[in-house]
This record gives sequence, C-alpha cells and structure tokens, in this order.
Amino acid sequence: MAAKKLETMCKELEEDLVLYYYGEIADEEKRRLEQHLGDCGGCGRFIEDLHRLLPQMALPEELPQSFWDDYYRETIAKLRHQREQKFYWRNLFVPMRTWMIPAFGTAVIAAMAFGVVLSKGSLSSLYNQPQERIPKEIVTDTEQLEFFRSLDMLEALSGLEGLETSKADAHAA
Amino acid sequence: MELVALCQQGEGKFFEILVRRYMEKAFRIALDFTRDTEEAKDLSQEAFLRAFSRIKQFDGRSSFYTWFYRLVVNLCLDHTRRKGKVVWERLESERDDERERKELTDNTSGPDQEAIAGETKRRVDKTLDAMPTKQRTAFILRNHEGLPIADIAKVMKTTEGTVRVYLHRAVAALRQCLVEFV
Repeated sequence: MAAKKLETMCKELEEDLVLYYYGEIADEEKRRLEQHLGDCGGCGRFIEDLHRLLPQMALPEELPQSFWDDYYRETIAKLRHQREQKFYWRNLFVPMRTWMIPAFGTAVIAAMAFGVVLSKGSLSSLYNQPQERIPKEIVTDTEQLEFFRSLDMLEALSGLEGLETSKADAHAA
Repeated sequence: MELVALCQQGEGKFFEILVRRYMEKAFRIALDFTRDTEEAKDLSQEAFLRAFSRIKQFDGRSSFYTWFYRLVVNLCLDHTRRKGKVVWERLESERDDERERKELTDNTSGPDQEAIAGETKRRVDKTLDAMPTKQRTAFILRNHEGLPIADIAKVMKTTEGTVRVYLHRAVAALRQCLVEFV
C-alpha cells in the first residue's frame, strides 16, 4: 500500500501526549496539554488516533471458565508434584512412622552392643599379640656374651687353681 | 503480603490462593508475548513453580506482583530468545498465508470490519516482534496489562523516565505501522 503521511502533531509534545493518553502525567502538565489540544488540530487528531488504535491491540481473548478451572487444577498439581520432588526423602519414612521410634531405639542399642563386642575382641587380641621377635644381631651378641662369661669363669677357675698350687708350694716349702 | 509471609514460613497451601489471584494476569502477559495459548499456559505455570521455589528470596522491598510479573516477563523473553527469530519469521509467514487465504474468502462477502481487524492485528504483531525487547515489554505491560509506569519500572528494573521513553517509541512505531488505518 502507498505510504500515507501521518497527521502532523507538535513533535516536541509527542511523548507527553502518549503519557497523557495513558494518564501518566502530572496535573499541571495535564492542564497545559488540554489547553494546547483545544488549539492544535494535529495534536488533537493524534490523541484521537491513540484512542481508536491502542485499545484494539489490548483486546483480550475471552476464555471460558472451564479453561481457568483446568488451568488452576493443572498448576496446583504441578506445584504439589514439585513439592513432593523436593521433599521425597520425607516420604520414604512415611510408612514407618508408627514403629519408627522403637525400631530406631532398638537399632541404636544393637549397634552399641555390637560395638562393645567388637572393641572387646580387639582388646583381647591386643593382649594376645605374639611377642616381638628379637633381631638376629642382638641374639648373636647375647650368645657371644655367654661365651665371654664362660671364658671369665674358666679364667677364674684357672686363677683358683693357681692359687691352690701356690698355697701347696708354700706348705711344701 | 500476609499470604506471602505465610508461604515463606513453609505454609505451601497458601500459595494456592496466590495462584488463584494472579493466574489470569500471568497467563495474559505470557499470551501477549507468545500469542499462543498452550505456550502461554506452560510459561505462566512455570512462573508459578519458580515463584514457589524462590519465595524465600522475595525480600518485600517491592510488591509481590511486581516481583512475580518480573519472573513471568523474564521467562517469556527467554522463551522468545530460545525460539529464535527464524522460527518467529517462519510462523509469521505461515500465519500470513493463512490470513491471506481467509481474507480472500472473506472478500467474497465484501471488505468488512473483521478483515480490517485481522489486518490491523497482523501488522501490530509484526511490529511488536520487530520491536526492541524493552520497548515491547514496556508497551505490553502498560497498554495490554494496564500496569502503571512506576510498577513497570520495578518489573523491568529501570527508571520511570526510561520506561516513558520506551513507551513513547513503541506507540510511535505502532502508529506508524497502522498509518493506513488512522
């Protein structure tokens, strides 16, 4: 279609006129514009255009009540599903609620008893641990010590013998 | 506010009242962005699910509805971005063909108001699609949903002055696209 020229309004007032149409303008400004609209055909025509065109664009599609009922039901169902998903772990315990506390108490006691038994076993095993093996070098050293001790004893014996022979020599002399 | 506080304390059943209160508005906003009933339904319901799971993050500095509408708008914009321009264009051309066929059949009974309204809507949709996201959001929230500029600024996390500029530009673009009908 051929381009049609728009009715000329005062360009500097265009924004104010849009806001005036939407009722978003201060009282003083409103009075000033209304005075101007009385004198200016272009601006008056612009406001008329807005009144004719803009409400058409906002015409809501009428929907039946059944649509809103379904919408509400669906939304609530989705919300409940989301809530269930969030607290799913709570539902795991729902069937056990009546006997959960005594069962939990029994489980705690059993766990404690089991723990005591286990710790006792581990203590006794601590006592029954095999003695530490003595390193070979130390054993060898000990054997050598025994050897030197026996040498000492032999020396002592020979010393005694020497003493006895010297005593016997003294008597003989 | 009372309801929101109860929801924050874990009283989930009170959120169902908030759903009832805001479902129509949330759906309408999503429909304005998507122009598809099923998509609008899914997106607005998703917004409720998000609002419910993030209700504790709502600090009460703004009203609940501006916080919630922000969720809806962000979901819609993400959805539009995900779908991509190519898909939009493809759908648009499919719709154009469909409308042209309809208009041709309508022409047998003469040019009537319905055909003009159809053409107006098609042009408006096309202009809105081509519009920068922020202008489009400001326009939809003010023109279609009737939110005051102060609330739109909160939803869009910007200043009122910026929203006024977006709104003015959007209206100017739409008026330009409908030049033959004015």
